[in-house]
Parts: sequence; structure tokens; C-alpha cells
Amino acid sequence: MRTSNVNYLVKKGVSSVWKNFIMSFASFSILLVSLLQISITVLVMMNLNIVMGNIEDTNEIAIFVEEGATTEDIEHIRSVLENNSELTDVKYYSKKEAYDKFSQQMGEFSDLLDYLEENPMPETFFVRVKDIKNIRGIVEQISSINLVEKVNAPYDFAGALVNIRNTFTVIIVAILLVLTIVSVVIVSNTIRTSVFARRNEITIMKYVGATNGFIKLPFFVEGCFVGVLAGVAAWGVSWFIYDSIFSLFTDNLTLWEMFGFFDLIPFGNVSWIVLLSCCLAGAALGTAGTMISMGKYLKV
Amino acid sequence: MVEMKNVNVHYASGIDALVNVNLRINDGEFVFIVGESGAGKSTLMKLMMRELMPSSGRVFVNGYNLEKLKGNRIAKFRRSIGLVFQDFRLIQDYTVYENVAFVLRIADQSNRYIRQRVPYVLNLMEMAGKAKHKTRELSGGEQQRVAIARALANDPGLLIVDEPTGNLDPEKSYKLVGLLKEINRCGTTVVMITHEHDLVRYFGGRIINIDKGEITFDETIGGNDEDQ
Repeated sequence: MRTSNVNYLVKKGVSSVWKNFIMSFASFSILLVSLLQISITVLVMMNLNIVMGNIEDTNEIAIFVEEGATTEDIEHIRSVLENNSELTDVKYYSKKEAYDKFSQQMGEFSDLLDYLEENPMPETFFVRVKDIKNIRGIVEQISSINLVEKVNAPYDFAGALVNIRNTFTVIIVAILLVLTIVSVVIVSNTIRTSVFARRNEITIMKYVGATNGFIKLPFFVEGCFVGVLAGVAAWGVSWFIYDSIFSLFTDNLTLWEMFGFFDLIPFGNVSWIVLLSCCLAGAALGTAGTMISMGKYLKV
Repeated sequence: MVEMKNVNVHYASGIDALVNVNLRINDGEFVFIVGESGAGKSTLMKLMMRELMPSSGRVFVNGYNLEKLKGNRIAKFRRSIGLVFQDFRLIQDYTVYENVAFVLRIADQSNRYIRQRVPYVLNLMEMAGKAKHKTRELSGGEQQRVAIARALANDPGLLIVDEPTGNLDPEKSYKLVGLLKEINRCGTTVVMITHEHDLVRYFGGRIINIDKGEITFDETIGGNDEDQ
């Protein structure tokens, strides 16, 4: 098709938005609500991911070294641990430092340690795992290092976190899926009313030899355009809602930090991604709704 | 050229709309298809524009075997014919100019060609002065002329006109058929469907009568306008 005719059809599509203002507004409103739900869900998901990450980062594996290990042995173990890409924060504690740390952890019961005749703590490495899902495999790797006597890992904590994260992911994906399907169904029904109002126009075009592509293009542009407008609006409203919630958290930071709710994402950091996603999702929903609605009127 | 071979159309309601129709309309002919309401004239038109497929038999129009047309080839076929409907079927929100121009857009013509062609056909139909009017602002006769202008825009070899005088007074009806005759003299095959026998007798030419789905008469008669 010639560029001039494509331009003509695109202009027709955009002008139809204003010509059929009431129906366009109905589609816009429904898309706005749908996109708002989706964008807020995604923002919540992004933040909960960070929160989960923060909680996961508190995991610590203790690696006890056998008695009698030389300085060279310790350096060897350190280099193996530091070269393991799955590990982070490798810290070495001498017998004395390990004792002090343990004593500190005992808190008010640390006096009990005074009854010991000698320091029972071995030389110890503390490490964190990058991905808590892999903790069992990593512990097996570490245990196989020469002169490593024992490895203590928070398996229960890790297992619980992995379960929470998996459940959480399934719930979010299900919510997004349901929201998307519901949006497409509602939007396609709204647009169907708009297409129905113009069924005569479509029929006439078919009679005089228009291809389905020629007929669909302006409707496609119209659906897409309304979707993008709704996307921009959803972005603005999301920003307002998110900022209000964000200030609730940041005003009471100490309380929320206890639950790992520190360094939440400020909207400004994800503003462009949210805008782009809202516009793309709006365009996709608007277009999908239009395409679903049109089929029956093209069979002439 | 239009050719129908042993065409039968049987509707699901049990009605036989067309029964064993054999018909050939050569290029350059002017043919009246007449018959009472419900005789099968509209079914014949629907077959010629490939809106309907026969229950049996074959239909050829402008070299296309309509049975074998699928998808966008149907659109291409329809661009090779000009259709004028009894109820005009103009897009009411479009101006007169836009109603004619959009069939040229459908045929993927350039802006330059559209700017030349639309005023030409509107002028031919004496509608150039109303190019900027919305079609809903026009009288029935004017809308009919815009519909003919639209049908002629793509310079079709075949023009099918369904009851064009149904909404016109007698004077305008005679004038309109005279115009169609002029178009025919320029080489376009014209098939006009009507139930107005007086008009047909006046103009004469080839007349095909349909009654209860069957062709009962197919002859050429002389008319009063032969001197024109």
C-alpha cells in the first residue's frame, strides 16, 4: 500500500477517536482502570522482590576449619571461597575473633562462657550466598574443601524464603494473567459497541472492494491510540498513588526496616520503565480488543 | 462479461431463489433485469457481486470464477465492478468528495490521481458543486448520483445498478437511466435491476425477466429513446 494511503488511514483512525468521543472515552476509562491495576501490581512486585532480597541477604553460612590448620591452609580456603561466584561477603574470624562474635551473639548469657577452660571456637569463615535457592549445593561444595570440618547453614530459613518467593511469584503471575484477560474481554466488548455503531461503514467498504487490512487499520490505530492515552494516564495516576504510599513507608522508616522494607524503589527510578510498559500494555490491550471485536463484521 | 451456468440458489428457509439460471451478458451490453418483488433479482445481484454463493452451478464475472475466490481476491474482484445500491450505501459522515475518493484509496491510487479523478466523476454526475457537502445533507436523487460517481471512480468494466429509480420521481428516473445509457455508450457494461416496466419499455434494449427464480424472458426490444 502507498505511504500516502497508509497516512490517510492512520489519520482516519486518530480522528475517529474524537469523532466517536463517548465510545472512545468508555474504552479509555476501562483501559485506564485495567492498566492502573496492572502497573500497581507490578510496582508492588518489584518492591517485594527487593524486600525478599534484603531478607535473603541476611543469610549467613559458618564454615569451621579443622584444628591445626596452618596460615597457608587458611589462605587456601579463603581463596577457594572468594573465587566461588555463588558466594559473597567472605569474612575470616580467628579463634579469638570467633569466640568474641559468639560471645556477642549470646548477649546477656555470655557469662556462661567464663566457665569454659579454653576457647572452644575453631577458626571460622562466614559467607553469604547470592541466591538462597542454591544453598544446599553450595554447602556441599564448601564441605568438600580440604580441612573444612563442618558447615552450618540456615536451611530452614532458606527453605521458607524460597517457598514464600515461589508462592508470591505464582500469586502475582496469576493476578496479572486474570487482570489481563479481564481487561481484554471488557475492552473488546466496549470496542465492539463502537464497531457495531459503524458496521454499515465496514459493510460498505467490503462491498466496494476494501481488503480486511484496509478496513482494520483505522480501527487498529484508534484502539492503539486510545490504549496509549490510557497508558500515559495510568502512569500519572500510578505515580500519585505510589508516591503517597512511598511517603507512608519512608516517614516511618524505622518501623518498616524491621521487616526488610528499606531501600524501597522511588518512583523516579522506574518512571520511564513504568511509562513505557503502561503505553505498550495499553496499545496491546486496545489493539487486541479491537481485533477481537471486528472479526464478525468483516465476513461480507 | 457475466456468465451463469445452471445456477441454483436454495435458501435454508426452503425457498428456491433461483432455479437453473443460464445467462450470458457480453461486454458493452446494457441489460435490464426485471421481475416482481421476491422474483430473485436481488439474489442475482448478490451472486454477481460475490456476496452469495450458488447452491449449485457456476458464476463467472469479468473473467473471475467466483466459486474459487478467497480472501483478498474477493476484494480485488469487487474493485473490478461498480455497484450502485437501491439505498445508496454511502458513508453518511463522509463528504461527497470523500465517499468517491475512498474507493480510489482502496484501489491504492496516488493522491495526485485521486485529486484528478474525483472531480472528473463528480462533474460527470453534475455533483462537483456539492463535493464538500456531507452525504446526509443531500436529496435522494443527489445521493443516487454520488453512488454512481463512486461506482464509476475505478473505471469499472461492469456497472451493476440495483433499483436506482426506486427513490426518484418519474422525471429524475428517466434522466438517470438516460445517464446510465450514456455511460454504456462509453463502453461500460451496465446491468440494471428494476421492477419499473414503463421505464424499461421506454428505453428498450435487452430485457431479462425473472419470475419465481426462473428466467422467463430474455429478448431485445426497441425503445422510444432509440433516436437519442
